[in-house]
Amino acid sequence: MAPDSATVERPIRLVVRDDELRRSRLTVVFRLFLAIPVLVWLGLRGIAAFLVGFVNWIAVLLQGEVPDSLHDFVAGYVRYATQVSAYVFLAADPYPWFRVQPDYPVDVEIAPPKRQGRWGGLFRIVLALPALVLATALGGGLSFGPSGGSSTSAQGSEGEWVFWGSSAGGAAAVAALLAWFYALARGRAPRGARDLVAYALGYGAQALGYALLLTGRYPSSDPALAEPYAELPRHPVQMVVTDSLERSRLTVLFRLFLAIPHIVWILLWTIAVLFAGIAAWFAALATGGVPQGLHRFLAAYVRYAVHVQAYLYVIGRRFPGFTGQPGTYGIDLEIDPPRPQSRWLTLFRFFLAIPALLLASALGGVALLVAFLVWWYALVRGSVPEGLRNLGVACIRYQEQASAYLLLLTDRYPYAAPVLQGRRHEPELSVEPAVGDAF
Amino acid sequence: MLLYPTAVPDGLSLPSVDVDATFGARLVARAERYERFLYVDWALAQVALLVTLVLYARKGATFTRESAAGPLGTGMLLGMLGLAIVWLVGLPFGLVALWWQRRYEVEDMGYLEWIYSDWAVLAAEFLAICVALVIVMGLARRLGERWWLPGAAVFVAIGALFTFATPYLDFTTRPLEDKALLAAQTRYERDLGLPDVPVRVEDVSDDTEQANAYAYGIGPSRRVVFWDTMLRDPFTESEQKVVLAHELSHHSQDHLPEGIGWFALFAIPGAWILMRATRVRGGMGAPEAVPLALLVVVLLQLASAPAANAISRRMEAEADWKALQVTRDPASLEKLMVGLSETSLGDPAPPGWAGLLLGTHPSLADRVAMARAWAERNQP
Repeated sequence: MAPDSATVERPIRLVVRDDELRRSRLTVVFRLFLAIPVLVWLGLRGIAAFLVGFVNWIAVLLQGEVPDSLHDFVAGYVRYATQVSAYVFLAADPYPWFRVQPDYPVDVEIAPPKRQGRWGGLFRIVLALPALVLATALGGGLSFGPSGGSSTSAQGSEGEWVFWGSSAGGAAAVAALLAWFYALARGRAPRGARDLVAYALGYGAQALGYALLLTGRYPSSDPALAEPYAELPRHPVQMVVTDSLERSRLTVLFRLFLAIPHIVWILLWTIAVLFAGIAAWFAALATGGVPQGLHRFLAAYVRYAVHVQAYLYVIGRRFPGFTGQPGTYGIDLEIDPPRPQSRWLTLFRFFLAIPALLLASALGGVALLVAFLVWWYALVRGSVPEGLRNLGVACIRYQEQASAYLLLLTDRYPYAAPVLQGRRHEPELSVEPAVGDAF
Repeated sequence: MLLYPTAVPDGLSLPSVDVDATFGARLVARAERYERFLYVDWALAQVALLVTLVLYARKGATFTRESAAGPLGTGMLLGMLGLAIVWLVGLPFGLVALWWQRRYEVEDMGYLEWIYSDWAVLAAEFLAICVALVIVMGLARRLGERWWLPGAAVFVAIGALFTFATPYLDFTTRPLEDKALLAAQTRYERDLGLPDVPVRVEDVSDDTEQANAYAYGIGPSRRVVFWDTMLRDPFTESEQKVVLAHELSHHSQDHLPEGIGWFALFAIPGAWILMRATRVRGGMGAPEAVPLALLVVVLLQLASAPAANAISRRMEAEADWKALQVTRDPASLEKLMVGLSETSLGDPAPPGWAGLLLGTHPSLADRVAMARAWAERNQP
């Protein structure tokens, strides 16, 4: 049996020492401007680090190991990049200045150099590419295509052209944007969004360290790595994972086609849900709760959406049923029975849900990238990597918590921390206000 | 015998045609070489398909462990997987055929483009097989072994609906703008007793050199479509008019409704055979029967191909005859056949077995013979 990725020792490990989450409103307002000097310095250090990374590459090819001094230099850059990013993305409050802070609230611990395989070193940049792409999607996001310009055709006629750029992910950037508003209002960062940013920074540090040959261990995207600092409060909409990691290559190869009947069915179901959602809104406004029948119908839809998305993204193994019944699928959603809801929160539900939907959209981009990576991996190996699978599950969990919030299945706000299992004591999320520890 | 009458006179004897003299010995030899390879490729593809389906019928039920759905959903999964395997197995044969067609400059499409362009069709087939299985399995689970009669009726109804609705789902063609052809269309429609039938053009010349035209739709949805390759050299305006008359004749002779009638005659015994054959796997209500059902359906299609092709050839011959009656231009029909052989490299006189299994149209030589037979009867 393969070791649980959460228990495997990691040479590059994120450390978070900021439990109070206090933020200075003044520095939050001007955070990006304040960060300009350190970002310039980070850029200069980055150039040097990449040159040293090239020397590291030669060293690994020649002697299978990076010299201590070079390792320390690049490790210092990775730590500094993490600290500056944490400051920019509001995961930390103290100014990072121009050198690595030994006790900065968000930091990475990097193990001393060890021997690395020469073959792994030779193809490092190629091997690191998927991890770097995923780190980018988790952090600032990916974008494709220029935004516009002009061209002259072969016939000589000049015309304007516009490419509709598309983007994927950028989960940490969106979380930081939402945290910016929250911190301005409350003087502290939202815990869930901070944990999501920290997780993204931790993965980014692993990917960068791997690419620059600080370690030969491939980055792990398992959200379990976020557990030392992140927590998952009890939420009325919870993910349950009982699925295996094995995959039939044939069903993986044709996964998109096999999902076609489900895609058609969920589109039809969505039309009905649109009307049911409106009915639930009126009912909740009038009675302070969603009637049992409507709740059951909407809950089945959200659960079915999880099953279909998990199957389509190769995160789930088996072909799901069409009814969204609880307990029928390996990647499942547990939804609590209906409870009384605040009429005020119900009245403004759509507007309140917009930040969550923005973050859900960003995490949807990450999930799509995860699906792409998992598809290739499963096609070659006949199984899916646990870390990527769990990251996909975490993304889907947030998306469906956002759907459940919008569809009035709960008035508890979605929780952004990319954690799948609650701690043993399962701390209750503050209910006052329900948008409280948002994101 | 409602489906059998034809406008082709009883006892019409077709004169023999010297294909070398009519089509040119070089073209005939080239077309034979070209077609021979495709016949072999087709035959090997059929063997591979049958072997695959036999294996899938025996082992396919193991894929039930990949499903968390109920019996209907699991049946759909097995049906789609069967289709996926069939597509995968057919892929190399299709690519080899494309290579051969490109070598002879009949097709221009790239290999990757060919695979990608096939995906939309494949997606539609996945959906279609799901719908078909939901109907059959749903009826079988409700009616037991009596599902075959209502099942066949439902499929005939779907076939009719599909034939009727398909023209309305066409967003890729454009209206025909050739004034001479449009004027001829009005005249032919009057002679054939047809209302105005829209004639449209499909742009395929970027992908293929082959020329074609077809008639589809029923009643108000009737259409005629020309490939743009048919509206350029080497085809003259007179030849294009013959094609137009031929396609309009399909509508005037009600060939599409007749086709649905024939489908009904095949579907009813076919559904009964399917019901009997799948008994060994628990009947069509059980998902485990689906892989076997796929094999049975393919075998039925292969077995019925000679009869279906004979019916199709009879309709095409009738459309040729009606086209000759309205255009009164057998010489153009003859030249058209030579042109089709040049652009599509069709063998003017294919081997008997190929005509039996693949011949949806009379051979080019037979169509030339019909033009000559018409001329003999109708011209001074």
